[in-house]
Amino acid sequence: MKKLNFFRSFLLAATLALTSVGFTSCDDNNDGPSGVYAEDGVFVLNEGNFEHTNASISYYNKSTQQVQNNIFSKENADRPLGDVVQDMHIYDNRAFLVVNNSNKIEVVNATTFKSVGVIEGLSAPRYFVALNNEKGYATEWLPPNADWSYNNGRVAVIDLKNNKVIKTIEVEKQPEQLRIINGKLYVTNQGGSTVTVINTATDAIETSIPVTYGSNSLALDKNKVLWVLSSGNKDWNLPESEYTAGALTKINPADNSIIGTITFPEVTASASKLLINGNKDRLYFLYNGGVHQLSIDASALNTTPLINRTFYGLGVDPETGNIYGGDENNWSGDGTVYVYSPEGTQLSSFRASIGPNGFVFN
Amino acid sequence: MARFSFLNVWLGACLSSVPVAAMAQQDTTQHQLRTVEVFGKPAEVYAAGSRVVQLDSAFLSTYSSGSLAEALQARTPLYFKTYGASGSSTVAFRGTNASQTAVLWNGLHIASPTLGQADFSVLPLSGIGEVAVQHGSAAATYGSGAIGGAVLLNSPKYNTQGLGGDVKLETGSFGRYFGSGSLGYGSKNFSYALSAYGHLAENSFKYKDLSRFGTPEVRQEHAQVQQHGLTQDLNWHISPSTALSLHGWYTFSDRELQPAMGSVNANARQLDKSLRLMADLQHQSRLGQTDVKLAYFNDLLHYTDNSTDSEANVETYQLQAEQTYTYGERWSLRGGINLQHFVARNDGYASQQEESRASLFALFRYDPVQPLQLTLNLRQALVENYNPPLTPALGFNWKFFNSNLHQVSLKGNASGSYRVPTLNDRFWAGAGNPDLKPEQGWNYELGLRHVLVQGNTFLLETEVTGYYMLIDDWIQWAPNHTGLWRPTNLQKVKSEGLELSTTATATLGELKLSSTAGYTYTSSVQAKVYEGSGSDQGKQLMYVPRHKGLLAAEAKYKNWSLLGNLNYTGLRYTSNSETSHLDSFMLLNLALSRRLQLGSNTLLLTLRSDNLTNAAYQTMAYRAMPPRGYTFSLRFIIP
Repeated sequence: MKKLNFFRSFLLAATLALTSVGFTSCDDNNDGPSGVYAEDGVFVLNEGNFEHTNASISYYNKSTQQVQNNIFSKENADRPLGDVVQDMHIYDNRAFLVVNNSNKIEVVNATTFKSVGVIEGLSAPRYFVALNNEKGYATEWLPPNADWSYNNGRVAVIDLKNNKVIKTIEVEKQPEQLRIINGKLYVTNQGGSTVTVINTATDAIETSIPVTYGSNSLALDKNKVLWVLSSGNKDWNLPESEYTAGALTKINPADNSIIGTITFPEVTASASKLLINGNKDRLYFLYNGGVHQLSIDASALNTTPLINRTFYGLGVDPETGNIYGGDENNWSGDGTVYVYSPEGTQLSSFRASIGPNGFVFN
Repeated sequence: MARFSFLNVWLGACLSSVPVAAMAQQDTTQHQLRTVEVFGKPAEVYAAGSRVVQLDSAFLSTYSSGSLAEALQARTPLYFKTYGASGSSTVAFRGTNASQTAVLWNGLHIASPTLGQADFSVLPLSGIGEVAVQHGSAAATYGSGAIGGAVLLNSPKYNTQGLGGDVKLETGSFGRYFGSGSLGYGSKNFSYALSAYGHLAENSFKYKDLSRFGTPEVRQEHAQVQQHGLTQDLNWHISPSTALSLHGWYTFSDRELQPAMGSVNANARQLDKSLRLMADLQHQSRLGQTDVKLAYFNDLLHYTDNSTDSEANVETYQLQAEQTYTYGERWSLRGGINLQHFVARNDGYASQQEESRASLFALFRYDPVQPLQLTLNLRQALVENYNPPLTPALGFNWKFFNSNLHQVSLKGNASGSYRVPTLNDRFWAGAGNPDLKPEQGWNYELGLRHVLVQGNTFLLETEVTGYYMLIDDWIQWAPNHTGLWRPTNLQKVKSEGLELSTTATATLGELKLSSTAGYTYTSSVQAKVYEGSGSDQGKQLMYVPRHKGLLAAEAKYKNWSLLGNLNYTGLRYTSNSETSHLDSFMLLNLALSRRLQLGSNTLLLTLRSDNLTNAAYQTMAYRAMPPRGYTFSLRFIIP
């Protein structure tokens, strides 16, 4: 018998042992206004239950505080979005919805949410970014081995005129969030200790920047410093004594040099979902069971969290600085989104759909 | 695996179970007349006021190639969550969940101790003699898990003198083949029967892929099922007062698990092997009846997909000993003990785990006057760290009107129930929750039953039952505030509903008609939530249809028989928030049989169609179900 990865075993436990779980979203009973999703809105990515094809997008209108759930299905003849939506990226008039366990990226009109195409044939796509209207990039994981260990992942180069994959670029294990800065694509690698830099003119790897193990998200501040968040090594197969600490690494994208590293004090605590506010001077992320805030001028972590609870999804409104936290609500009912002021005071909450894991601000 | 096959051989060599032989043409009228006696079955003697429904034998015989899931879905108000044509199928009773249903084979629990529930798609009808459904809590009688109800399976009774047997061959749409055979021998004091079956289904039907643009019609892939199994039953009256029965049941199932529409095909596959052996000794003395059951079960579940290889292997040892003492015609008392010992190896556990459980029970029956029957049942379960409280059940049955034509009874009961955490709940590495409590339920029901008998030609039985049930500390896996998945006492659920059923049997010359109509209303809602953020209080639980109705009819004329089954399932929500649902659906199944007498032997030809109206439906969201299909079967019966 192969040894099971801990995460995977929970997944199995969740799939096999959960007795009353089993879900979907095949229709929409929402009575909110429909039509234009262009203004003053927040898209909530509802991951859905793994292998239940019930991922969905909710639209929250900040001024009316009304929620419309399941807008993809509503605008596309009741067609479900797919199985596990992981990322959404708006470029120009198109929105790209990365549906991880459907191996596809749905492309919709960003204001009407009507389908304009689909990018198929991907392998467990994670995150997407567009360079321009002609080309985009998606990180992909290749299927894990039977012992749940991973091989190197890749970045798919996608022709956005015909939604076809042009080529793939091998990167490290489990590539996650990616970002384009000055024509260079920075790719985090959750299963490795580097950030891969790809030249978007040649679509070839230019360099790899060594960072703390487990980089998963990145943000660019107002001083053009690139912040990379790493979780540290938290392999469930290892005893906790072999875990390594997470960290924030500061990189100068002009020459890809490392400016500094803030290592987290709690070695066993994981860290994820690095975000930055609209002024690009305050960082937010999940760490050690809380939402943490860090000034870009800080040299050490304040160990007291801004919000003393964790969330499944985290967002920061670039306009107001408000913090959005998605609670998965046991995965058996619609999740709740809590809205906090930049100082961490809860302002309001609303129900989205199953497993809100991310936010995109229009 | 070496041991497994050794046991197999042993099973083949020395054990027992009975075929479906001689069930082909039971006299339905007579059968129905017999069921007028409410307390026909031993367990029900102590279950006054509860609702127990026996599955019609003609139906079981016609659909013997199917699974228990298909039969119960078609013929009872139970809802099954079926993961497509090849996936698992679990039951929801009176608005509860699959773990809150006890499944017993010849009186002993057979649900998987690791998952705490039974997958009805791997339980074949072939080799099972009787299927009864107990609605409502019965934990005082049956123990842990009998919260929403219980499914009672019994090995067939083999009454034929001399040699007998049958062979059945079947072929159907979407690459479906089935074959079964049985052989039995009976004499005055001894009977032995062996039956075996094999089943192969490609499930290569076409369906509309709702997840893709334009909903193209595609062929179902990766849904092949291969099953086979064996039963043996031996009954021996050693002396006029002593009888020994041996039962053996082996089932094997190898399935490709059908992916959901829109979900990646990860080549998920599941192998289930179960071996169940039981010895039952009954002895009659002046102290009453002694019944000792000893059993060994081995359940293997092996799941694999592109990135998973996980196995759970559980051995269960069970002993149930009971003594029944009857005083005159009014008092009866049964006391007993049940011991279970589990040895579980599971890739999700840190090491091999063992657990022992015990329960003591006492069942009383008192008939103060002839038309009134009272029962009181008590059970105390003993489980390390998870001791549930004393579980009582009180029931009555009062036949307050009895004329030549009409019988009217009022019945009711109040019963407690419990469910102890499963082995996975306890032993899954890293998920331990030391604060976990057993689930606890209370069930109250009241029913009215009317029976109209007109000689031997017409019988009408009508029953209406209303119930109210509270289940507290409902266990469910969920992530805690740090994101760790573990079992937790998540919620309190209130379930209430109404069950209506009526059965009519009429004989008009050579024409015999029987029909059953049933309707259930189920409201099952969260009353309290102990974990998580959003409250879904007052909302219907997911996958519990509020309405389900069924209409079944059988007509027999000379050597012809027509069996029809119409089944309505109302809207089901697919999460606890009532924001998404699956539409209601109606299924029609028809089976036409012709019986040919070949000397003393019988040949039975059956043509049947399932889902005759070609309804597109799902019982689990986005798991495609088969469209209209046809099946032809031949059955040769040696008397």
